[in-house]
Amino acid sequence: MKLCDICGKKEATLVVRQLDKEGKATDLNVCAECAKKRGLTGVEECEPDSGAVIAELKSRMEESDSKVICPRCGMSFAEFKRAGRLGCADCYQAFTEKLKPIIRRLHGAVQHIGKTANQGRKRAQERLEIQRLRAELEKAIKQEDYEKAAALRDRLKRRGDETDS
Amino acid sequence: MKLTPEKVGTWLSSSGPDSDVVISTRVRFARNLIDVPFVVRMKQFEQELVLETVRWALADIGFLKQGRFFEEEMLAEPDGLYFVERHLASLDLITSKTRKGLFVSEDETVSLMVNEEDHIRFQVLASGFDFVTAFGKAAELDEKLEGQLAYAFSPEFGFLTSCPTNVGTALRVSVFLHLPGLVLTKEIERVLRGAYALGLLVRGVFGEGTESRANLFQISNRRTLGQSEAEIVEVVSSVCRQIVDYEHKARQFLMHNLRVEVEDKVFRSLGLLRGARIISTEEATDLLAMVRFGVALGIINELRLAEVTQLLILVRPANLQAVLGEKLRGDEQDERRATFIREKLVR
Ligand SMILES: [Zn+2]
Ligand SMILES: [Zn+2]
Repeated sequence: MKLCDICGKKEATLVVRQLDKEGKATDLNVCAECAKKRGLTGVEECEPDSGAVIAELKSRMEESDSKVICPRCGMSFAEFKRAGRLGCADCYQAFTEKLKPIIRRLHGAVQHIGKTANQGRKRAQERLEIQRLRAELEKAIKQEDYEKAAALRDRLKRRGDETDS
Repeated sequence: MKLTPEKVGTWLSSSGPDSDVVISTRVRFARNLIDVPFVVRMKQFEQELVLETVRWALADIGFLKQGRFFEEEMLAEPDGLYFVERHLASLDLITSKTRKGLFVSEDETVSLMVNEEDHIRFQVLASGFDFVTAFGKAAELDEKLEGQLAYAFSPEFGFLTSCPTNVGTALRVSVFLHLPGLVLTKEIERVLRGAYALGLLVRGVFGEGTESRANLFQISNRRTLGQSEAEIVEVVSSVCRQIVDYEHKARQFLMHNLRVEVEDKVFRSLGLLRGARIISTEEATDLLAMVRFGVALGIINELRLAEVTQLLILVRPANLQAVLGEKLRGDEQDERRATFIREKLVR
């Protein structure tokens, strides 16, 4: 199965042929949907410059990919396509429409079934808080601020009791 | 300090079910922490934060009390290759420039990488064809870790991973197969194509890509989303069951019809290993695998399956040097490898 040269996702059903100056032919595979979108339906052999039109459409697609940006980590969809790795959990939200066809192709499905995440979240946040308090305590001791250190130690102790229970 | 180099993981003990064909079963989960970017986008303090948080979580898990956590210097090349050869870490972890960590349980059946492609990737290995042990232990560890850590999860896409190929259950299960019978009867192509058609991924173990060395193969699931964990295990396990049965049939066929030819191959391999004065890792691997076949078939009785299987790991460059306790140049290595194998196979 040949994939569409424009979207790279669907099966190509149409070949658009471009002839260069020397008369050498280059074929471009296009899927039905992209062909329809670009007004190429029914075209079997295009004008010699249609290749340029398609190349431009393709570069415009790439341009649009670089405009879809994850608000949290700043990764663009074009960047993801280059590296094959997403930048953060929010990328799944930000790129969802563009990712779905890719995920469907990889897994044959776009809905997770199976185990769901438990919320270890509360405990995890407590741990991060303890970690922060410990760092502060260390700093206070280094700075010989023993009053602050004692207060921090008490807070840590209380937290420790809570998390152990 | 390494873990004891001459003592390999118990998953190489060839004591589990169908160990004559299945060397080991592996179950791996990928997880990422919520509120921290994925590894490609992490700043150094975030890498350290994840490292510290995971270390902390692991320390609280009872059945992992006996184990060690390795960091930077231990994991850098070339020393880190030791863990790669032992199937405890990936080459990506060793070669990456991020702040990273590797936890290894004392018996080397559980390992956990921090800041590889995902924040956390942990695996459980079991000897032979044994999803009950491997999956059971991995699910237990997942459960325990989740009591301490908050994972990135979406109801739609499941556990979120850096690469969409792992999203969903983020579960990869695999079996490490020794299939000389199917290779010698030339049935292997058909079997591996069949496994691929059923949605599995087939790789050679020591070669690049699908090229295989020494008739060793790894089969795993391709899909991680749209199937439950139990279904994924079921698919891989049922296909593997068929392959194991087919390999057994091929071995029976060979023993009935081509016994002398098989014996010839096996004893020539043993002879070469016992006589060689210089031997590369690749040649040693091929020959050891053929000897393993001979032991499994009962053609060779003086060696045990476990010791031959373990040699497959111990003769690899970083492990050989760790066992001998010396750094060796390439040419010295081939000579010392030959000596090491000779001593091990003497009876
Ligand atoms: Zn298209
Ligand atoms: Zn992002």
